[in-house]
Amino acid sequence: MSQQRVLIVGGGVTGLRAALTLDDFGIKTTILEKTSQLGGKVTGYSKVFPDFRDGKKIVCDLVDAVSNSAGIEIITESTINDVQKRSGHYAMTFTNDDVVDASAVILACGFETFDATKQGEYGYGVYPNVITSVELENFLDHQGPTKGKLLRPIDGNPAKRIAIIFCVGSRNKRIGNPYCSRICCSYSTKQAIEIKELDTETSVTCFYMDIRTYGRGFEEMYQYAQDIGVKYIRGRVSECSSLPNGDIQVRAENTLLGRPVQGTFDLVSLSVGMTPCKDAGKISQLFEIKQGHDGFFVAADEDIHPHSTTAEGVFIAGSVTGLKPIRDCLLDGASVAGEVASYLRKLNNK
Amino acid sequence: MNLPMDVFNHEQRESIWKRYVKEIPDNNYFLTLSCILGALYPGSESMVPKVYDLLGLDWNTNPSARSGWTCCSGIAYHGDIMPIEATLLTVARLWSIAQELGLDSVTMSCVTSFGIHCECKDLYEQEPGLKDKVDRLLRDSCGRKFEIPKYINHISDIYYHYRQELKNNHMKFQLLEEKTGRPLRVVDHVGCHYSKLFPEEHSLGGTDYCEVLSGMAQAWGGSSIDYPERRHCCGMGFRQCMISPNRGGTMSSVLKKMRSMAPFEPDLIVTNCPGCEVFLDKEQWAIYEVTGEKYFIPVITYQELAGLLLGWDPYETVGIQFHTVPVEPLLDKIGIPYDANSPWVNCSVPR
Amino acid sequence: MKKTESKSQVCPPSDKPTENDSNESINLIEDVKNLPPWFQRDFNLSKKDQELLRGYLDNLDDEEIINLYYQLREAKEIRNDRYFYPNMQILFGTPFEREKDRREQRIWAEKYEAENEVIQWYKDAREKSCVWWVENHIIARHCLNSCMSCGACSALCPAAEFFDYNPRIIMETVQEKDEQLLVDLLKSDTIWYCYQCGSCKAKCPRKNNPFGMITSLRQLSQIKGYHVHSIRGRQQYAARHFWGGNLWNRACTLYFRNVESETHKDFGPRFEAYDKARDDFFTRVGACPDSEGVLSGRKVHPETLDEVRKLWQMGGALYMWELIEEAAKNQAQEWGMTIDEYHDKVSREG
Repeated sequence: MSQQRVLIVGGGVTGLRAALTLDDFGIKTTILEKTSQLGGKVTGYSKVFPDFRDGKKIVCDLVDAVSNSAGIEIITESTINDVQKRSGHYAMTFTNDDVVDASAVILACGFETFDATKQGEYGYGVYPNVITSVELENFLDHQGPTKGKLLRPIDGNPAKRIAIIFCVGSRNKRIGNPYCSRICCSYSTKQAIEIKELDTETSVTCFYMDIRTYGRGFEEMYQYAQDIGVKYIRGRVSECSSLPNGDIQVRAENTLLGRPVQGTFDLVSLSVGMTPCKDAGKISQLFEIKQGHDGFFVAADEDIHPHSTTAEGVFIAGSVTGLKPIRDCLLDGASVAGEVASYLRKLNNK
Repeated sequence: MNLPMDVFNHEQRESIWKRYVKEIPDNNYFLTLSCILGALYPGSESMVPKVYDLLGLDWNTNPSARSGWTCCSGIAYHGDIMPIEATLLTVARLWSIAQELGLDSVTMSCVTSFGIHCECKDLYEQEPGLKDKVDRLLRDSCGRKFEIPKYINHISDIYYHYRQELKNNHMKFQLLEEKTGRPLRVVDHVGCHYSKLFPEEHSLGGTDYCEVLSGMAQAWGGSSIDYPERRHCCGMGFRQCMISPNRGGTMSSVLKKMRSMAPFEPDLIVTNCPGCEVFLDKEQWAIYEVTGEKYFIPVITYQELAGLLLGWDPYETVGIQFHTVPVEPLLDKIGIPYDANSPWVNCSVPR
Repeated sequence: MKKTESKSQVCPPSDKPTENDSNESINLIEDVKNLPPWFQRDFNLSKKDQELLRGYLDNLDDEEIINLYYQLREAKEIRNDRYFYPNMQILFGTPFEREKDRREQRIWAEKYEAENEVIQWYKDAREKSCVWWVENHIIARHCLNSCMSCGACSALCPAAEFFDYNPRIIMETVQEKDEQLLVDLLKSDTIWYCYQCGSCKAKCPRKNNPFGMITSLRQLSQIKGYHVHSIRGRQQYAARHFWGGNLWNRACTLYFRNVESETHKDFGPRFEAYDKARDDFFTRVGACPDSEGVLSGRKVHPETLDEVRKLWQMGGALYMWELIEEAAKNQAQEWGMTIDEYHDKVSREG
């Protein structure tokens, strides 16, 4: 057992948690991360919902623990080039020419945010004052470039009228993403609350189709947002355009009142949905596992064995199996470790 | 104040419209006419064959008494007095004539017509037995047969396709202010049925940043304006404009657009839809009478724009004297000469 | 297919005058300044004139009125080297032409009705429910798969901006599949506000089509005769003769003389100049006003007209016009008006 190694593809919170739990079992792991830093997307979130904990601290604590563990090897700035399946293990070559032999592989390669230029009607990239939720996170970060102040990109003036548009890149057959990205309602509400707490004079209007804040504590967060004055208008935004001074005009229908509305804002944030990681196709081919119509990885049995795939020894965890909140990703990391440990024990007993 | 263009990133806009491109054939065009353009801006229709000839293209229209042009019945269909089957047959007959002539590209100057031809093509794709049924009906009623044409193109697509050649080899003027060299600011208003019905398959540039007119204007020296109500319908609305008691809705739409574009200081509006041309031009007068708001931004069709830049006679050939909003100030800006005192021009009417 | 000569100004007419043609005008309507009421396009005829015109028209039997119409229409003279038809500009849009159309189309329908499958479908549909129609009409059945009421369609609908109209609510009503709600909808002014611009179709994230559904509902309203219950619906009688008359007699939906300055004061004073110089202008730019030729304003050749009329019979247009005619006749009788008075009334009400 001490000779066996597990390869974890992806150094985000899911992969880190899986590595730490496997380490508790005494199983050696190698974390393969394609960027230069561990931590993945959560590194970009100074506050995470529903309790507004510091996302960077969560990552820091995980990374510290991983770095201090002798049983966890870390390889960065590298991806898988080739996979050779042998009996009971996989031999993999990486782009930095390393070769690793592993008895099991955990695919925790995460997600990409939707490219908002694909929904041309919102004018992302065309109008400076239209940004994505990822860029909004940078604004809201107290240690970030604007020290937490919301400024209009076009002229640097304070932004006092904010619009948050939900479902950008999700629930849309027209652009090929008919699914719901699950966490945007929650993260958008979190951002709306952050904006209001920063400055009660700033107005925030959320344009939504449905509010899907359904985790524990999430509904209460939504109510709190409304309590502190975040405005919610039920209507999918049809287009954004720019006035001569850079103000953004947003058109939607207030479906609950049954009439079209047009609002003018300093800053419009597009709550972008998520797609599977860019190399999901390549990875699924290398390991011979299945992708669903939506591109996310498919388990051997979605209900009973959600971490196993049709390829023996290849496990999946985290966002790449379907979008989920950070808590659930961490949960996935812990549970896949248990599955892998159990698998390795069976392998040993053969 | 900053130039309004600074709020708008042109490279990014280009990457968005480039997602929607379509094939535009080089030659062999079947020419159909437009009811509205023919009624109110006949110069535009007559200029199309002249431009085709200038470019040395092969084109044709009706070959015989029996195979004369008829309207596609699009306005009647969208005005709800025509069942779709009758429209399918009318269009099938036009396709049959085109095929009689050996032409695989059907072109039209009317955007409603373009929309109707595309709607028919789309319906054949959605309804598997429909082609056979229409084959039978067409044959039983007048003995014709037809195929779905390979290309359905609006004539503005053809002008777009040849915009560089027109400019490099034939045009005498550009969309520049003669005195200062400043590119003129052009509002490009694309007809709804061109860009909104089938943006992926049939429009050049999609719904949001449609390229067909904008590309033409830019190739010919102008700069394109983006304004909030860019995609707003002009309000023609078929039964809304042609049944007089309803025309207030049309006027309101035009007013909304004018108010939205005015702060961007456009020099002219170019359209590719006859209906849009009529109402953007003519309702500016009614708006002035009813509200006192003066816009009077010249509205011209892309055929008229090309004709003027080619140096054709503004009155004899292009026919601008009958626009409700005077076009002469635009000619002055560009430096196109004209003789407003020529007797038949009828410019004794107040400008 | 190479052409050997430039077609632009030439566009050869099918029939050209020969040397043997006399250049005398054989215009049968001599006193064009004092036209009798059946040749007038005035929507404000006096009661006396209405009686006069009805008396005159009722007195003509079918063959008489049809023959007289075509005799007048086909009368020609030579102008600018082409045959010119001087009576075209007198006959269009008149009670005389409308009466002729009624009679002639009835004869055509009887002559060609036979086993026309299209007409049979509409006849059957007339007896069935509205719910059946929206599930089976060739247009409607592709327009609505599942609507989530997001309001993107209403957000940029021009009619929704200015009128009490909402495409989302219409789609929801259809989705309800409630017969009474649909009947009420079809009897109201609501569906007649749509501008048929297609902005809604372009935006729908579920790829539904309110634009097409409205077209289909409007046809259903007329097939069932519900349209006479609303002001805007009744206008369809004017539409049937305006576009229908132009198509039937001139093979175009808008005849170049239809836009008169008298009825289009909103087009401004320069338009009056256009009105006066119309024929001259057309000729100068190379078009063919009421003349043989192929460009704007051309007089359609009788062979073309004959062919395309058969298509409209085959395609169910004549049947639809018959239904609209019947509904108008009944409504006019109920109100104690002649059919011409009814026509004038619905053309002006809005």
